[in-house]
Amino acid sequence: MSLAIETANLTRRFGTVTAVAGLNLSVRTGEIFGFLGPNGAGKTTTIRMLCGLLLPSEGTARVAGLDVRRDAEAIKRCVGYMPQRFSLYGDLTAEENLDFFAGVYRLSGQERRRRASETLARVGLADRRRELTEHLSGGLKQRLALACALVHSPSILFLDEPTAGADPPSRQRIWDLLYEAAAEGRTILVTTHYVEEAERCQTIGFMHRGRFIGLGSPEQCKAEMGEALLEVDALPVMQAAAVARRLDGVTGVSIYGHTLRVFAKTTTHLRHHLQEALVAQGVAVKSIRAVAPTLEDVFMSLTRGAQDDNGRG
Amino acid sequence: MLAVVGHVARKETRQILRDRRSLLLILVMPILLTFLFGKALETGELRQIPSVILNQDGSPESNVIVTAFSTYDEVQLQGEVATLQEAQDLLAQGKIKAAIVIPQGFMRQIETGEEAQLQLLLDGTDNNSAPIVEGVARRVIQRYNTERAIKGLWARGVRPDRGRRLIQPVFVHREIRYNPGLQYLSYVMPGVIGLTLQLLTVMLMAVTIPRERERGTLDQLMATPITRTELILGKLLPYFGISLLNVATILFVADRWFNVPVLERLPLLLALCALFVLSSLATGLLISTVSRSQFQAVQIAVFYILPVFMLSGAYAPIEAIPDYIRPISSLFPLMYFSRAVRAVTLRGAGLPLVWKDLVILGGFVLILLYWAVLSFRKRVA
Repeated sequence: MSLAIETANLTRRFGTVTAVAGLNLSVRTGEIFGFLGPNGAGKTTTIRMLCGLLLPSEGTARVAGLDVRRDAEAIKRCVGYMPQRFSLYGDLTAEENLDFFAGVYRLSGQERRRRASETLARVGLADRRRELTEHLSGGLKQRLALACALVHSPSILFLDEPTAGADPPSRQRIWDLLYEAAAEGRTILVTTHYVEEAERCQTIGFMHRGRFIGLGSPEQCKAEMGEALLEVDALPVMQAAAVARRLDGVTGVSIYGHTLRVFAKTTTHLRHHLQEALVAQGVAVKSIRAVAPTLEDVFMSLTRGAQDDNGRG
Repeated sequence: MLAVVGHVARKETRQILRDRRSLLLILVMPILLTFLFGKALETGELRQIPSVILNQDGSPESNVIVTAFSTYDEVQLQGEVATLQEAQDLLAQGKIKAAIVIPQGFMRQIETGEEAQLQLLLDGTDNNSAPIVEGVARRVIQRYNTERAIKGLWARGVRPDRGRRLIQPVFVHREIRYNPGLQYLSYVMPGVIGLTLQLLTVMLMAVTIPRERERGTLDQLMATPITRTELILGKLLPYFGISLLNVATILFVADRWFNVPVLERLPLLLALCALFVLSSLATGLLISTVSRSQFQAVQIAVFYILPVFMLSGAYAPIEAIPDYIRPISSLFPLMYFSRAVRAVTLRGAGLPLVWKDLVILGGFVLILLYWAVLSFRKRVA
């Protein structure tokens, strides 16, 4: 299958800070690729380089077969971009915004008007098209921004946190639109820090400090998590967590309501040791069982691993 | 390309029209400024300089001098004072600008053939008034001397008409071409028009790109295949339209209330204004492309406009500026505009006399626009 996006050693520095550190990325045509990672991981910087808004400091990147250094303007013609911050004209109506961007993308006359009204209808804004954009709610603004990124039928979509701050129904609405776009053969690169949104992607890249610390389909990521996981149901939960953290071989502990998720290099013997230690401290243990990791577990595990690496380095 | 320029222009126009408050300001300000600047400078000619007389002599001859002063419009005699101290106090308090002192013994000195003096006490802080009072005093004394000499000659048998020619064989005859009233206002109005247009256009244009940068909309725009030229021209057009509207109202005000003969050379004046406004908008765009924020844009605009005010010859003749500063003046389009409009409105000059300035202004437009396009970066390096 052909590659829509391909980077090699893509690097961007701002002064002494390295925002993106030698990223190697391959996105297949037609897939939904999710960038997952904490704030400041380099997701936005990567997208801005791929859209031709920012020059790489080092490395190469090809988008739709075009070089980001040489053919930035040609790339812009075939990609759509939705920035993290709402960036449409608040003092224009929804329709005027779409019409303007369609025009700037060089759609002419009838084609422009047809695409503008089609795209508006598609994101469900047809009946709000005469309203000033600044008066629309957050969710509607996001849909309008998506419409602007889609109006010229781009083959690749770059979406920087398209659902940030949206309520669940709005988020669902946007993801429906993304699936629809993907079904039309468009490649989608989307950043998020909602783990459950990452589950919706075909491929996930976990970014941390400018590089990938994990890459693959959600299933692969879970299967390949380098740590074992125990779910502990015990009372009092805070005390249980303190005990677990002190135990040899335990790399991390997360608390979820009444249960603990305990990460370890291996679970052989650990289950037994944990049980003993908890009981010795007077903690009432209801159950301890090995469980399959969720993406969130994978994310936590990978982030912790990367931080340890950095600590050692 | 033209289509995209049109889209940008239409978008800008919509935004301008929707911002009612700014629009009102844009349309009313130039009229107000022209009117205020013009009115403030209209009284540029000094009349009625407050002065007092200190007549220490109190003789018939000194009374002749006092009467002579009162016939001049330039000085306004506020009465007589009794002592020098009194005159000095009034001068110190700023209540008068000049004291005319006729010392004791004035008449006696004249009669005995000694040198008699008329003394002036002047306030040098007002360097406009002092020379005017001095000029009046010279004229008063010259006339007095002449009359006295004629009388003296007559006593020796020379008839007055012959005596006058003996004493004053040469006269100056003057004929003032162009601006016969020597009015400062007529001289300065072209500068006022230019300054108003400059101030408005540069300020308006300078903030447009930083405004988009601050609102984040530039980011979205930069992700599209729009070219720099399309963006620059698209932003320029609507503001050019507004500026032409301003040109019309300003010229109307100048014609109606400040006696600038606009209608006589309307096409030429419009051409000058249009080119000047374009050069000014291009300057604003250039500022716009290099500014990170609206605040910074306004800052740069002010730093540009202040030297323009002082150095472009809008208020005072460019020849009054030292040679080594004049090269800077020649960098400002306003200098050529003021010069050309002055030639047109004061001397009735036509195309043959001002085509050079038209060409220079046109050159400014092209260079500044090109520069603005080049200095605009679509991508952050």
